[in-house]
Amino acid sequence: MKILVPIKRVPDPALKTKVKDGAIDLTGANWVVNPFDEYAVETALRLLENGEAGARVAGAEIVVVTIGPEDAAQQLRSALATGADRAIRVDAEDKALDAGVVVAALVQIIAAEKPDLVILGKQAVDGDANQVGQMLAGKLGWAQATFAASVELAADQKSVLVGREVDAGVEYKRIGTPGILTVDLRIVSPHSVKNNVTPATFAYPDGPRYASLKGIMAAKKKPMDVKKLSDYGVTTTPVTREVGIELPAARAAGQIVADIPTLVKKLADEAKAI
Amino acid sequence: MLRQTVRDLTREIVEPQAMAHDESGTMNRGLLRKLGELGLLGVTIPEADGGAGLDATASVIVHEELAYSDPGFALAYLAHALLFVNNFYWAASPAQRAKYLPRTLTGEWIGGMGMTEPSVGTDVLGMQTVARKVGDEYVLDGRKIFITNAVEGDVFCAYAKLDERITTFVVERGTPGFSTSDKIPKMGMRASTMGELIFDGCRLPAGNLLGREGGGITNMMRNLEIERLGLAAMSLGIARRCLDVMVAYSMERRAFGQPLHELGQIQRYIGESFAKTEAIRALTYGVAATVSPDSRNRLGTDAAKLFAATAAKEVADAAVQVLGGYGYCAEYRVEQFLRDAKLIEIGGGTIEAHQKNITRDLTRR
Repeated sequence: MKILVPIKRVPDPALKTKVKDGAIDLTGANWVVNPFDEYAVETALRLLENGEAGARVAGAEIVVVTIGPEDAAQQLRSALATGADRAIRVDAEDKALDAGVVVAALVQIIAAEKPDLVILGKQAVDGDANQVGQMLAGKLGWAQATFAASVELAADQKSVLVGREVDAGVEYKRIGTPGILTVDLRIVSPHSVKNNVTPATFAYPDGPRYASLKGIMAAKKKPMDVKKLSDYGVTTTPVTREVGIELPAARAAGQIVADIPTLVKKLADEAKAI
Repeated sequence: MLRQTVRDLTREIVEPQAMAHDESGTMNRGLLRKLGELGLLGVTIPEADGGAGLDATASVIVHEELAYSDPGFALAYLAHALLFVNNFYWAASPAQRAKYLPRTLTGEWIGGMGMTEPSVGTDVLGMQTVARKVGDEYVLDGRKIFITNAVEGDVFCAYAKLDERITTFVVERGTPGFSTSDKIPKMGMRASTMGELIFDGCRLPAGNLLGREGGGITNMMRNLEIERLGLAAMSLGIARRCLDVMVAYSMERRAFGQPLHELGQIQRYIGESFAKTEAIRALTYGVAATVSPDSRNRLGTDAAKLFAATAAKEVADAAVQVLGGYGYCAEYRVEQFLRDAKLIEIGGGTIEAHQKNITRDLTRR
C-alpha cells in the first residue's frame, strides 16, 4: 500500500506572531511542519506498521510532498526522520501559491505516484483555509473523509472506516481506496488508528512520534526529488490575494464591581449579556 | 534537525515535569528512558555499536536544549551519557561493551561515574580509594562523594589507585561490598540526585577492569573535554532561558508609567546578558568543533567551561534582579536556574581548576 502525505511548512505556532506593515513578519521565522500535517504523517505511519513490533508492513510506502522554497526541504527531512520513505519538493515561492495552485500540482503528482490513500492535515495553522483536501477530492473525483478522529484500515486494504466527530456524536463513514483523508487532532490518540496488523490492545503514546537520532541520520540518505511546477504542467496562478493582516484589538482590562446589583446592571447595560 | 527534535521534545515533555522534580529533589527515570528510546543516550557512540555516531557538537546541542527547560535533568543526562556511556565506551573491550552498552543505551540501566572523594576533589591524584589484586579479583576500599546518579545508578565507572596508579573499574549495583548512600540534599540541580559510592572490600572480577591497570588517567583525560563541553552547553541553555524570561517580563511589566525595558538600569541587565549568552555560544560551539576522539583541545574546553559557568550564573542572577520579587519566587523559575547555574562553577572541575590548568598550559615552555 502506498500513502501520499502532502505537508506544508508554517511559522512555529508556539512562538508569538509579529505583524509588521500589514503583513506577518517572517524575518527569522522558525519554520515547522504544520501540526495537522504532522498528524497526517503519523496516521500514515500507524496505518502501515505493526506498532507493537515497531516494524513496517511489507511493501508499504509513504511519500511526503511539499510545495515550497528550498528551505522547505527541512520539513520534508523531518517527516523522513520519523519514518516516511521518500520525499518530493516542488519548488515554488510561498507567494506564488494558493489552495488552487497546490491542488493543481497535487493532482499531477497523484497521477504520477498513484497512491492508494492521500492523507492531509485538515488545515494549515497559518491561513486556516481548510480547502486543499476537499478540493483535491473534487478534482480527482475520489471519495473523501474529512476531519478524521479515528481510522481503521480494512484487512484487505481496499477501504478505510473513518470516525468523524460531529455535533451529535461520532459519524462513521467507510470510503474505498483510492481516497482522500484529512485528519483532526484526535487522530493521534493512543487507539485512534487501527490497521488489523498492530494488536488492538496496543496503545501508542499520545501525539505524533519524535524522530529518533537514528531516524534523523537515516533521513539524510533518503531520496528527495526536486521538481518545478512546470514539470507538472501547472499553469494555474493564485486567485486569492492577501489584503492585509492585523492583530485583534487588545482586550480591555477587567473591572471589579462593588456589589451584585452593580454587576447585574453592568452586564445588562454595558456588556449586553443579559 | 537534531536541535529542532530535542527542542520539541524539551518543550512538550521535559518542561512540564521540570518544576515538580526540582521541588521533590528527584530524578525522572522514565524521562531518561524516553531519551533512550530516541537514541539520545548514545549520541557520541559509533553507529556500529548502537549509537548515533555523532560528534561533540551534537552532544553540545542536546545538553543546551535540555538545560533550557531542566538543567537538573540535563545533569543526570550528562552523568549517564557522558560520564558513564561515553567514558566507558572508549575504554571498554568488545566483551565489556556487549555486556553493558545495550542496557545503558536504552536507559534501562542508569550510569554514573565516581571520581571525587570526601577529602579529595580538584586534587584528583591524591585519591584515597584503593584497589588490590587478590587472585583473579580486584578488591576496592574507599568512598566517592558528590556522585550524580549515585542513588538511582545501576552501573558506575569508578577510579581507584592500584599500586599508586589510577585505574578505572566498572562497578554494578549489587556487587558484594559495594553500596550507595541516601541522596545528599543540595542547593540546585535538584532534578538529579547526588550521593556517595561506598566500597567496603568490594570484590570485582578481573573482567571489570576498564582499560589497563594504571590507565585511569588516560580514560579520565580522554573524557574530560567532552564533559566540560556538556557543562558549558548546559550553561548556555540556562543563560538563554534566563535571557528569554527577562526580556519577556520587561515587555509586560510596567514601572513609572513605562514598560520595564525602557528603563536604563534594566537595559544594562538585558544588554549584558545577551552579550554574555552570545559569547558562551560562540566559545562553546567554536571549541566543540575542535574536539573528537582523535582531536583534543584541553585549553579550549577549560576556557569554555570557565567562562560559560560564571557568565550563565550572572545572567541568571540578572534575570532574578529584573523580575524583582517575582524573580525571587519560584513561579518564573529563574531562581531555580540561578541555583542550578552555580553548580557549574564547582562540578566537573571548579573554576579554580580551570584557571590553574589554563595558566599551567600557557606558562609551559
